Amino acid sequence: MLQAEDIHFCIRQWPIVKKASISVNPGEILAVLGPNGAGKSTLFKILAGEISCTRGQVDYNGQNLRALKTQQLASVRAVMPQHSTVSFPFTAREVVELGLPKDSKKNSEKNIREVMELTKVQHLEDRLYQQLSGGEKQRVQLARVLIQIWEKKPFPRYLLLDEPTSSLDISQQHIVLDILKKLKSQNIGVLIVLHDLNLAAHYADRIAIVKDGLIAGVGKVEEVYSEALLSEVFDHPIRLVKDQETQQILVSSNSTFHSDLKISKQAQA
Amino acid sequence: MIAGLSISKNSYQALVLSVLGIALVLIMLLSLSLGAYAIPFSSVLAILGEQFGLSLEGVDRSAANVLLQIRLPRIIIALLIGGGLGIAGAALQGLFRNPLVEPGLIGVSSGSALFAVVFIVLIPGLAGSSNLIQNLGMPLFAFLGGLTHVWAVYQLARTQGRTDTATLILAGVAINALAGALIGLTLFFADDSALRSFTFWSLGDLGASSWSKFPVAISLIGIPSIMLMLEYRNLNALSLGEREAFHMGISVQRVKIKILILSALIVGVGVSLAGMIGFVGLVVPHLIRIGFGANHRLVLPASFLLGAILLNVADLMARTVVSPAELPIGVLTALIGAPFFIYLIFKLNKINS
Repeated sequence: MLQAEDIHFCIRQWPIVKKASISVNPGEILAVLGPNGAGKSTLFKILAGEISCTRGQVDYNGQNLRALKTQQLASVRAVMPQHSTVSFPFTAREVVELGLPKDSKKNSEKNIREVMELTKVQHLEDRLYQQLSGGEKQRVQLARVLIQIWEKKPFPRYLLLDEPTSSLDISQQHIVLDILKKLKSQNIGVLIVLHDLNLAAHYADRIAIVKDGLIAGVGKVEEVYSEALLSEVFDHPIRLVKDQETQQILVSSNSTFHSDLKISKQAQA
Repeated sequence: MIAGLSISKNSYQALVLSVLGIALVLIMLLSLSLGAYAIPFSSVLAILGEQFGLSLEGVDRSAANVLLQIRLPRIIIALLIGGGLGIAGAALQGLFRNPLVEPGLIGVSSGSALFAVVFIVLIPGLAGSSNLIQNLGMPLFAFLGGLTHVWAVYQLARTQGRTDTATLILAGVAINALAGALIGLTLFFADDSALRSFTFWSLGDLGASSWSKFPVAISLIGIPSIMLMLEYRNLNALSLGEREAFHMGISVQRVKIKILILSALIVGVGVSLAGMIGFVGLVVPHLIRIGFGANHRLVLPASFLLGAILLNVADLMARTVVSPAELPIGVLTALIGAPFFIYLIFKLNKINS
């Protein structure tokens, strides 16, 4: 289990993350939602080990993050940051190869092919990364990250993704989340920062909602998603409706509804 | 077929390296033959053959002396310095994640030169006194100068894990101007024949190369170059970003320090032996990347070989174009390098816009 307890992070005495506790179990997808500036990215960086928290601690499979060497950490978790640039003319395939763990010589060829097929970037392998479109770059990066934990291991591992679908169209967003869904069955816990509430509701096993550096709610979709909580957290009126056919929760944040509400609020005032 | 793919990649790299290696040997042989005192190609081979125990007739003793005592050490020192500049340029570009980085432009070379000059002034009467101090002390002092400067520039230009090109170049300009002025000032007041001329330090000169410099060059340029070649995996990871490299299990801080030290050592020792020779470290890694891709596994050794080739070509021209006089070698490398630098700025602007 990836567990963060009571973590606290300040920038010049200004708390960005306050007393947050969060855990990711192997085999589940945990979606982290929240408005811009809520502290999601800071929380993400603390969990990934990029920055260390002022208070509290993060454990990977019961081992304190601080006690793990960089190399050991890389064998239990892979990270996909929001934006990555590549500074030299590497081909897409070379970028994916860079993600190979140090000790994997045997199946590297097979693994590279598998992740590139999965993320649908096989046909781009000889193209220069710098010349790819935004969505293609994001999928190549995903392949690069996946290959780090592709080889099966006897211990649970974790994948952390910061808005991996931000440059993707609808069908590609689903392709990516379907990949994560398959991945979690390999004893891998997935933590994903998302902006799309519907996508999160559809794929996540649990949801954590972050607001002002605090975890405002965590649990199954049905437990966390309420019109009151979401509207308050996002400071925007949100309605939940049930899809007639699939019985799934759909989130509506219709802007006309929003302006109506504002007008009625103003009228009341 | 799967195995075939990776083998073909390895053999591609081996092919590129052997072609460059053969080109280097050819240019060295040519360089041995040409010069103010022309030695026919056949005599060159005969003299070299004699060294390997082949006794051939018609070996001219004076030609053999020129070749073995003057030209050969010069060519080998040029090989090490040119190769060192090439690989240090490639490594620094990888570390800074910036293709415009070059030891000369960002102030490593001038920092080294300044420290070398100061070293000579600080330790008076050194010129004739102890060979060991001069042969080892000055290169190490130059290395310290280079290291200080590259560290300063790195700290100045780095923002959020990336180096900003404009700040980098400006920091380099400032440091070069300051170091240049201080070198000039020191030389003006010191008036010591051991200091050599301002031209030596600012434009480079391989003319003082001799076998006595060889042990320093091979151990403090050759060995660090090989150590840099082994960093290819870390440099590859760094091209994705420092944060990403950390995620992939690289101890970024340790790698950075190692690469900075090795590069500063190579450049500093090179400067102490032959002055500042600009642009080799800029042009060479670029040509390699354009020609053969960005994988540092190939870029690093290939940059060494191409740097060695380029500096030997430049030195050959410096010796022969205005023979029997000599051009400062930095004039030639700048004539090739500066227009290339301008072209790169244009190209990068186009990519960024």
